[in-house]
Amino acid sequence: MRGTVPVLEARGTPFPSAPFVRFSTLWVQVTGTWCNLQCVHCLNASGPRDPWLKPLCAERVRHAIRESEALGVKDIYFTGGEPFLHREILPLLGVALAAAPTTVLTNGAAISEATVAALASLARGAPYSLEIRVSLDDVDPERNDRVRGRGAWARAVLTIRRLHAHGLLPIVAATEDPGGEGQVGPGLYGRLRDFLVDLGIDKPRVKILPLFPAGRLAGRGGDLLSEEVLDGFDRGQLQCAEARVVADGGVYACPILAGLPGARLSAGDLEESFRPVPLFHPACVTCFETGMTCRNA
Amino acid sequence: MSRPAAAIVNVRHPVAAYRRIAVFGGVYSNALALEATIEDARRREAEAVFCLGDMGGFGPHPDRVFPLLRAGAVLSLQGNYDESLASGREDCGCGYTDPRDNHFARISYAYTFAHTSAENKAWLGSLPRHCRVQLGGSSVLMCHGSPRRVNEFLWESTTPNGLLRRLFRDHAADVILCTHTGIKWHRALPGGQHLVNVGAIGRPENDGSPRVWYALLTADAELEVEFVPVRYDHSTLARQMDAEGLPPEFAETVRTGWWTTCLESLPARERARGRF
Ligand code: SF4
Repeated sequence: MRGTVPVLEARGTPFPSAPFVRFSTLWVQVTGTWCNLQCVHCLNASGPRDPWLKPLCAERVRHAIRESEALGVKDIYFTGGEPFLHREILPLLGVALAAAPTTVLTNGAAISEATVAALASLARGAPYSLEIRVSLDDVDPERNDRVRGRGAWARAVLTIRRLHAHGLLPIVAATEDPGGEGQVGPGLYGRLRDFLVDLGIDKPRVKILPLFPAGRLAGRGGDLLSEEVLDGFDRGQLQCAEARVVADGGVYACPILAGLPGARLSAGDLEESFRPVPLFHPACVTCFETGMTCRNA
Repeated sequence: MSRPAAAIVNVRHPVAAYRRIAVFGGVYSNALALEATIEDARRREAEAVFCLGDMGGFGPHPDRVFPLLRAGAVLSLQGNYDESLASGREDCGCGYTDPRDNHFARISYAYTFAHTSAENKAWLGSLPRHCRVQLGGSSVLMCHGSPRRVNEFLWESTTPNGLLRRLFRDHAADVILCTHTGIKWHRALPGGQHLVNVGAIGRPENDGSPRVWYALLTADAELEVEFVPVRYDHSTLARQMDAEGLPPEFAETVRTGWWTTCLESLPARERARGRF
């Protein structure tokens, strides 16, 4: 499969493109789309069975980190799928942290007390910040579990409490209106902050992400970006102007579209992927309209 | 207000060489701290005093800082805040992505925009983005956020050595001086290059003390980097902020030394050191 996926050039496609401005962020799709949950809004349709994008072997990840360090990477992010399903996630986080500040995105459902203790020890010994971002879509268990699956809320909250108890300051990430009910709105941020404070977390950190017409919600995609729409907009602000994703099958433009043939920029070499990105997907419209970044800030 | 003398602002083509310089950033309309800093730097025999930008925001009476910069012959760069004010932008361009950070940033920017004279805005628009000087044997590059982006945050815990090596190489500098984060730090690489984030004098650095900091750099046999604490009349500043109707959260920071806003942009390690 992967050998047959073409590497697209932005030039020569009918799509507008984003320039490559600089390399700042390396994303590692460490478990591909292998996940212990199956959220209804998952932007890459991850799940427990037959991941359509395979996990990466540890050596591939180490190589990507070495390569990115030599290229002056600013920060490294681990995502999936669920990164904590990877057998070597802790040593890999250690390797990443020796090179650059590192964030790991997790649903918090597969993190034991022992893993939290190991993360705390990694964070203490590392030269750079370790960030743990835990997904929680609502303060209400029922509403959360409606989109993330039964029991997801309780396990995520337990992990948030444990991380806090070990002195790590988790970032709680929520997707706006994950169920597509149109009733979550701007109050979500405040509700999550208040909820964390009520849990006894005195330094609440919250990140809100928009819903993407990708993965399980790909059917909701409508328009595509055009040169006309982008006229006068600084495309260097899009995260694909500064980020690259190492995932099964090659290097891709951004974590939202990792694994899609249209976002594949090289067969594996990072530097080779430093070229314009075709903005071919309806998710690009969300980036353009919201100015969002998948980074922490 | 008369236009500042050209010599004060023209640092576009500096070839000046120094042995000791004082450098600060983030004045944030804190005229009282600015006055105390300039005095302190002169007392310590700094041959030149540099400001790496962001004159306004956060504090009261933004126009009060400009006569002090002029009288103190402070060589000033343009920060993202200065650029926004000068170009009439709708926001400060601080680069925040968090709603709470943005809420307070909007209040602060609207106040500062309304209380900065057109002449001072024009002056801010005339400032250069970068400045290069010679300090002993070192080529020093000064900027606001980073040499590549005016609003890039270079925090100590999120700036890897690999990135620094790239910045030193790409910008042909031995020493890079920046600000924008509001918290000072210094790292020397094994190759002898130095990154110094000079911190800010407009707001304490989230350490529970109302003092603020600037950097003193001296070229001896080796480059010496010293962070100098500055105490100023912070109670008066806080009272002025209250009188101007600025958010009480801002004045609380000035009084206590703990950040109450702009917290969300802090990385885990820097956030852990503060109270909130
Ligand atoms: S989805 Fe966003 S980040 Fe990804 S290629 Fe499109 S515009 Fe760029």
